[in-house]
Amino acid sequence: MVDELLFFMEVLVGGLLAGTMYSLVALGFVLIFKASATFNFSQGAMVFFSVLAFCGFMQDFNIPFVLAFILAAFLMVVVGLCTERFVLRPLMNASEDTVLMATIGLGYVLEGLAQAAWGVEVRRLDLGIGDFPVPWIADNLKLFISALDITAGFVAAIMIIGLFLLFKYTKIGLGLRAVADDAGAASSIGIPLKHIMLLVWSAAGVVALVAGCMWGARAGVQFALVDLALKALPVLIIGGFSSIPGAIIGGLIIGAVEKVLEVYIGPFFGGAIEGWAPYVLAIFFLLYRPEGLFGEKIIRRV
Amino acid sequence: MSNNSANILDIKNIEVRYDNVILALHDVSLQVPKGKVVALLGANGAGKSTTLKAVSTMLASERGKVTNGSIEYDGNAIEKQTPSQMVGLGMVQVLEGRRCFGHLTVEENIISGAYSRKLSKGDINQELEKIYTYFIRLKERRKSQAAFTSGGEQQMIAVARAMMAKPKMLLLDEPTMGLAPQLVAEIFNIVKELNTKEGVSILLAEQNTNVALKNSDYGYIIETGRVMLDGTAESLLNDDKVKELYLGISKKGRKNFRDVLKEESLKKRSN
Repeated sequence: MVDELLFFMEVLVGGLLAGTMYSLVALGFVLIFKASATFNFSQGAMVFFSVLAFCGFMQDFNIPFVLAFILAAFLMVVVGLCTERFVLRPLMNASEDTVLMATIGLGYVLEGLAQAAWGVEVRRLDLGIGDFPVPWIADNLKLFISALDITAGFVAAIMIIGLFLLFKYTKIGLGLRAVADDAGAASSIGIPLKHIMLLVWSAAGVVALVAGCMWGARAGVQFALVDLALKALPVLIIGGFSSIPGAIIGGLIIGAVEKVLEVYIGPFFGGAIEGWAPYVLAIFFLLYRPEGLFGEKIIRRV
Repeated sequence: MSNNSANILDIKNIEVRYDNVILALHDVSLQVPKGKVVALLGANGAGKSTTLKAVSTMLASERGKVTNGSIEYDGNAIEKQTPSQMVGLGMVQVLEGRRCFGHLTVEENIISGAYSRKLSKGDINQELEKIYTYFIRLKERRKSQAAFTSGGEQQMIAVARAMMAKPKMLLLDEPTMGLAPQLVAEIFNIVKELNTKEGVSILLAEQNTNVALKNSDYGYIIETGRVMLDGTAESLLNDDKVKELYLGISKKGRKNFRDVLKEESLKKRSN
């Protein structure tokens, strides 16, 4: 009995921590959705692009780890800058659908650029954190939990606190929330939309880099990272597209639910339900709570 | 750069088109003297909002364009400026329909108006206190979420927010839309106060002709994109046509345009 409980705890904690990796990817989507009410289809490509650049800097140019990370983050800010200047600004007054299509195109451009610059082979990313159980926890709590999962959990926590502080207490954060509410009114009082766009795309780029590092360390830095971003979709549906805490909680729920279902119900379906269970959950949310757990409801005064 | 002329805003014969096709303004000229309140009056679709947006350069975001004529603000021609540059120059528009940031608190809404200015936290608080002296009601509700305040309060938030940008000129688009008469009076009192105490010049679009003229120095009446009539507020209030068509006061019992048109066509037929 105790063993069974321990095993359940292990599955649950492992799932929750793995879920933070989904959260990290979803965060990038939320940032851009808040500012421009568009689902950024290029987020997956940004993850791939950023982490491949990071690996390229380290492995092809022998740049030390920290410097390579800073360079890659800087590169993502440049990508944000170019996106604002060459994609978003010309489409400033276009409909949201047009911007949505543009993000799909941008995704292809980033994927192509990344592979042209750094090659197509799968790269190994060694963060110095192993993807194996932490001995101390295994010995003392009898739980087998991966060090990489724990790191991802910490990183996600730090990012959410950082973003929360940025939005709540800084001037540009206030500007972003104003734009998220009513972009027209924000520009009428002199909040320059281009600064806000620049901020969110750069922030989303850096978030993509962090998410890419976590996933790259686990699964190798490869093209499949692009599709990984699709896992963020059920996360966002559950958490709410416009909520940062929602992205985190949504990720945790998806991570936990898919692992628990896989282990306990999976055998009845012949396994591998991890792949589609989150989407089934997402469908239930779409039917009964379309704004997600934390999404901003349309406030209407009665 | 500021000029010595008496007008802060000088619109000369502007024509505005949306989508390069739809002609919204045919020929509008108007002046706002420094430190005065000017009312722009007319029915729905007459071109009041379009005129204001042409001035604040917000037209571009609705695919509108000034295709003819010129606008001069504070001695400078308005051409390629962006709305945020106009705010930097001291011209702020309060959009129609209040447009508060619903998820932000009342105070956050007001502070967001100072975005274009480089102010320290202390300066912002000082400005905020000054703004609250005009909008006493908002101080009580400073921590409420803006979406849950009343229509009148939301209008006050929108004006207070614009005032935080320290404008030389305010463009108010139908500030009393959908408000009870008592609130209409309250809003206009505040507007008048801002005008006299802060020296803000005001261009005000309104459908509420009577109240607007009573609180303005000068008035323009536009119809289908053209200025039909202009004059001092007093002269317009006493003008027979204005009385008849916009104020609904008439000896003959005609209450609106339809009645006038009907009467005229009857007259033609009997001739």
